[in-house]
Amino acid sequence: MDVSSILDAQKAREKSVLVEKETPLVVDAGHLMVTDLNVIDEESYNENLEEHLQTLARDGVQELIGKLFSLPTSSSADGPQAQLPLQEYQLPRAKPLPKPKAPTKWERFAAAKGIQHKKRDRKEWDEERQEWVNRWGRDGKNKQKEEQWITEVPRNADIDFNPQLAARQERKERVEKNQKQQLSNLKRAEAASTSSSRKEELDRTLALARGSTASMGKFDKKLEGEKKMKGVKRKFEPIEKSVGKEMKANLDLVARMGSDAKKMRGAPHKEESVINVRKAVRFASKGKGSIAMASSGRDKKSSGKGKRR
Amino acid sequence: MLRVVKPRNARSKRALDAREPKEIEDPRTVIFVKGTHTGEVLNNVFKDLMSLKRPNAIAFNKKNQIHPFEDVPTAKASATANQYAVPNLVTASTSSSSSLANSFTGPTTPTTANPGTSLASLEFWAHKNDAQMFVVGQSTKKRPHNMTLVRMFDNRVLDMLELGVDKYVAMEEIKTQKCTPGTKPLLHFASELFDTHPRYMQLKSVLVDFFNGEVIDAIHLAGVEWAISVSLAPVPSSAGDPASSSFTVLPKIYLRTYTIKLMASGVRTPRVELVPMGPSLDLSLRRNTAPAQELWSLAMRRPKLAKTDVEKGLGKKRKNIETDDMGDLRGQIHIGKQDLGKLKGRNMKGLRDEDGRPSKRTRATAEEEKEENEDEED
Repeated sequence: MDVSSILDAQKAREKSVLVEKETPLVVDAGHLMVTDLNVIDEESYNENLEEHLQTLARDGVQELIGKLFSLPTSSSADGPQAQLPLQEYQLPRAKPLPKPKAPTKWERFAAAKGIQHKKRDRKEWDEERQEWVNRWGRDGKNKQKEEQWITEVPRNADIDFNPQLAARQERKERVEKNQKQQLSNLKRAEAASTSSSRKEELDRTLALARGSTASMGKFDKKLEGEKKMKGVKRKFEPIEKSVGKEMKANLDLVARMGSDAKKMRGAPHKEESVINVRKAVRFASKGKGSIAMASSGRDKKSSGKGKRR
Repeated sequence: MLRVVKPRNARSKRALDAREPKEIEDPRTVIFVKGTHTGEVLNNVFKDLMSLKRPNAIAFNKKNQIHPFEDVPTAKASATANQYAVPNLVTASTSSSSSLANSFTGPTTPTTANPGTSLASLEFWAHKNDAQMFVVGQSTKKRPHNMTLVRMFDNRVLDMLELGVDKYVAMEEIKTQKCTPGTKPLLHFASELFDTHPRYMQLKSVLVDFFNGEVIDAIHLAGVEWAISVSLAPVPSSAGDPASSSFTVLPKIYLRTYTIKLMASGVRTPRVELVPMGPSLDLSLRRNTAPAQELWSLAMRRPKLAKTDVEKGLGKKRKNIETDDMGDLRGQIHIGKQDLGKLKGRNMKGLRDEDGRPSKRTRATAEEEKEENEDEED
């Protein structure tokens, strides 16, 4: 059967959507943008401007559409969507990057202690009413003591003791305390974001500058009240130490020697051989890897002819 | 300056939160401002550009005393061509282009009695409307049909670009089908100058920001309806190297808009036909200011890659996975340290006391170890 005519027809079809230029067009699919870096043809420009512009644009858009139609798609409610790659062309941002929120005092404490954040429901179950009620706010559970029609009074209470008012005061105090904590958290966050990092940075720069002379700062003029720079001191373990510590150190050494970590990373590179072993294994195992090849070999042995033991 | 507003209810809080900086930004809102005199041409250009840019466009209908270029101190124009460069494209060398950018900056002697008012009002409007781009129109005898594109960063002026409208055909005049409002256009730039000449690199950056600033990760292919093409007039061969300072020709800019028709081609990729849609503009470059270096570097900061992206293989390499010489994938798993102290050896008779318990010596070491573990926990 002669298929050359079919192939030719297919080629002709492909040709109609192909764009050939001296410099290939630069497509940035993330921005839906195409840039044609070829020199503008003066002849066609002078001949008919609008036609020239339209052919230029058509070629560019054809290339871009070709790229868009070759992208992987995902299905959505309205039909298939082309997944766009990341943008290559970088545009300036309109606003600075958002700053991470500073942790509150509680959040820092919880992180240090490993306390997990548990989301509290806005609603709470009311046993008496047998329904979900607001924890706070309108008809909130936290106001239950103020609103119930009968309240227990301690035996030694004053004559003018008002249990409703006392409960209300207690609640108001809690709210106030929380507001105070919020404010102090805000203050702390502001202080942390401005002063301390700047101070550390300055200290580091100063230390660097002081050690940057030929004598590493040894013969520099000292100002009055200038503190001596502190370096890092080496520390040595004492020669004599307790039996337990010594044993632990030795066991650590043994464990390190036995571990696989060093072997894997530090394995000496073998000399370059003529055969690419990796490629050969891939070929022999038909892309399945050496383990698959070894196991298949074993299977063959067991299923083959010969005496079974 | 505007006073700092503290939200009093949930709705105003949501509105203010929407203005906060985001990692992935919304498209820039553009404000169209009329100067003291605009004329019919500019008014119509504004109307058409607004219809393309909607819903991210705000029109200022009253006239304003605004002359952005009269305010700019000359020192501000200090930019390099590489600022607008795409990282993977070949660009002109920095040394020659920095002086070049200065030489192209127009006359910027302050003529107003109170310099800074125009820029201050731009910054005020940006803050008030949460808009980070402006198009200012002004028609004078010296510069007829003048359109200034101002880009902002953090409510401050980043860079400005002046374009003169030489010829204009309105969208109405071209009697063809128009695109659906709100659909994203395809962008096409044609000329080698968009990669070599600092002025045109700036133009490209501003136009991409104007028409297509939004970050999207997927597009519905049936919704690709229209394209904007920006091409330049040919450069005369006597003009020389565009990256050198002797290059003084500024070729004309042709901005055309087309609707796209997709024809069946027999293969998966359809054949594209374009139909003019309008508006079409013939523009020429006039004055400009390049962004200040420190503001630009702030604006070009990128967010850190998200954890999911890193795991997908973007950015950093996947850790602890490698392919060995045999072509097998090998992973390294980190398990905790083995506690050899708990290892149970053989319980030999010789090491026992008479009562059958382990000897004193072994007991002593075990106790010592226990104490130490407690110390560490503290």
